Amino acid sequence: MSSCRLLENKVALITGVNRGIGQTIMELFAQNGANIWACYRTLDIDFEAKLKSLATNNKVSIKSLHFDLANEQQIKDSLRPLLKNRDRIDILVNNAGVAHGSFFQMTSIQQIRDIFNINFFSQLLITQLVTKLMKKQQSGSVINLASIAGIDPEEGFIAYGSSKAALIYATKTLAMELGPDNIRVNAIAPGLTDTSMARQMEVKAKERMINQSSMKRLATPDEIAKVTLFLASDNAQFINGQVIRVDGGM
Amino acid sequence: MDTIQKYKEVFINHLQVTEDQLSTLTYQSVSTWDSVGHMGLMANLEDAFDIMLDTDDIIDFSSYVKGKEILAKYDVKL
Repeated sequence: MSSCRLLENKVALITGVNRGIGQTIMELFAQNGANIWACYRTLDIDFEAKLKSLATNNKVSIKSLHFDLANEQQIKDSLRPLLKNRDRIDILVNNAGVAHGSFFQMTSIQQIRDIFNINFFSQLLITQLVTKLMKKQQSGSVINLASIAGIDPEEGFIAYGSSKAALIYATKTLAMELGPDNIRVNAIAPGLTDTSMARQMEVKAKERMINQSSMKRLATPDEIAKVTLFLASDNAQFINGQVIRVDGGM
Repeated sequence: MDTIQKYKEVFINHLQVTEDQLSTLTYQSVSTWDSVGHMGLMANLEDAFDIMLDTDDIIDFSSYVKGKEILAKYDVKL
C-alpha cells in the first residue's frame, strides 16, 4: 500500500472497470485510498470477488453498479439512488467506450449513431447526473477518456474519431460551465494502448499507429491510469478544460 | 413558513419579481428569467425543498404554474 495515498477518503465513480484501462484505473485509485463505485455492464460473480479482494487489500469500499451504456434508462435507474441519497462523488471517470474502425463508405449511419450513443451521449448523461451531486458539494473532478483519434484524423475512424472529438469538445465546454462550481473537467487522449481493443485491430493499422509514435510502442494501461490519477487528485486542482495526450510523442 | 409561501419567495427573491406577477410568470417573460436565471432558480428550489430535479423536469419547468405540477412529483405539495 502506498504511503502517500493521493485519493484518501475521496469517492470515485468509474465506468468500464472490468477490463483494460478502466480496470487498471480502478486498481490504482483503490491503492490510493479512493472509495469506488465500480460500473460495468453485467454482474459477474468472479469479478465481484476480485472487487472484494481489492477493497479489503486497500482498506477502501468498492460497490458495483451494472448498466449498459447503450441503454439510457438503465443508466438513469442505476445512478438515481445515488442522487436520491445525496451520495458524495468527488471523481467521475468516463472510461467505458467502444472501438470501431471502418471506411466511411462501409459504415452505416446507424453504426455511427450506435458509436456516438456509447462513446458520447452516455458519457454526457452520466456526467449530467453525477455533476448534480458535485454542484451540491461545490467540488469535483470529471475525467473523460477520449483518444488521439479525436484529435488527429485517421482513415477508417469516422465513427470512433468523431465520437471522441465530440467528447473533447464537450470536455472543454463543460469545464467552462462547471468551473464556477469548482468542478474540473479534463480529458485524456491515449494513443493506441495495449488492451483487448488494440488486439482486435487489423495488424497493418496497428503497426501504422505504433510507427507514428516517437517511442514506437503501445501505451500500457498503467501509463494512462497514472495520468488519470494525477487529474483526479488535488495535485491538479487548477487544471481544467485540458486534453492531455498520452501517446509517446507523435 | 408554509410550502406555497416558500415556493413564492424563491421566485420573488431569485427573479426579483412581485407576488402579483407570479400567476402569469413564464420562462423568459422577464429579463431575470433567462437561461442563467433558470439554472439559479432550479438550484434555489432544490435547496428550498431538499429535492434534486431531473433534467427533463428542469427543461419542462416553463412557468410558475407548471412548476407546481412538477414539484408535486417530488412530494412537494403546494
